[in-house]
Amino acid sequence: MTFLERTTDSKRLRHVGVDMSVDYIYTSGIAGETFFTALRDEGRILAVHCPVCKVNQLPPRMFCERCFTELKEFVDVPPEGRVATLTVSRVDRRGRPLPAPEVYAFVTFKGIQEGGLIHRLLVVPERAKVGLAVRPQLKPREARTGTILDIEGFVPVASQP
Amino acid sequence: MTSRIAKFPGVELGSKEFYEGKVTQVRSRPDARYEFSAGEAISRFLEELQKGKLIARTCKGCDRILFPPRMFCEECYRPTDEWRYIRDTGTIETFSISYLDQDAKRITDPILVGVVSLDGASPKMGMMHYFGEMTKDEIQIGMKVKAVWKPAEERKGSVLDIRYFRPLREGEA
Repeated sequence: MTFLERTTDSKRLRHVGVDMSVDYIYTSGIAGETFFTALRDEGRILAVHCPVCKVNQLPPRMFCERCFTELKEFVDVPPEGRVATLTVSRVDRRGRPLPAPEVYAFVTFKGIQEGGLIHRLLVVPERAKVGLAVRPQLKPREARTGTILDIEGFVPVASQP
Repeated sequence: MTSRIAKFPGVELGSKEFYEGKVTQVRSRPDARYEFSAGEAISRFLEELQKGKLIARTCKGCDRILFPPRMFCEECYRPTDEWRYIRDTGTIETFSISYLDQDAKRITDPILVGVVSLDGASPKMGMMHYFGEMTKDEIQIGMKVKAVWKPAEERKGSVLDIRYFRPLREGEA
């Protein structure tokens, strides 16, 4: 048998199936720990202040990436933010069609000069606009676990009861 | 350099922190599934195992009978030539007495495992497998052995279609 006579039909050949069991635990890190603990326990969203650059940064990080100063001063993010940019997703993470389209937004906050939060925007796509005033909607305290999903998403400020 | 640092700055985390929820965390498991193709030669080898037979490939270049079979001779750099059945008896070439099981757990009753060169294939050609019906004190290099097959309905085209190799009995070929 020469190489050219070999099968090109891979289904004819035997296969060995493997399901790799690789489990990861990602911890939040030092600044992330403060951020997620405050979110879980107090329902607060914290940014971090750089005393050298006079810049507030979100999400909090341990070092200022402009001047390498260690950041220790946490500040509260204002209760309202604005949609800076958004995307409408019609498929899930595996590419399967979603029953209804979902909106994801990058939300920035006044006084927070650097960064923002990316999360669900809990509106129909027609209502999703850049510049929309939004507020975070948190899960109830007992359902919060200290991850970004403790925020259910952002809702328009106008819809506040 | 590092030997002069008694304690590194930072926060040490251990399984207590991870598993008792002492630190905030995200868990994930990638959906990493693979299908390895057995290839031309090993696919036929596995099919024949399911039938209760051992098959090899011959090479006219070096006059060897290659087992496990392969489609290319690594000595002659040429495609191999023909399929050839070999016998399910052979000789222990090397072995280990293992006090660890497949999951590396300690066990008291050792597993005997090693390489058998098979009759009908070229010298030293064979397969790795378990040894049974012998104790760790009886097993030795050069011992003649024979395959113990699973019943046909339990075989599924795997090297484990052979349960193990047992000592060749008197009068057996």
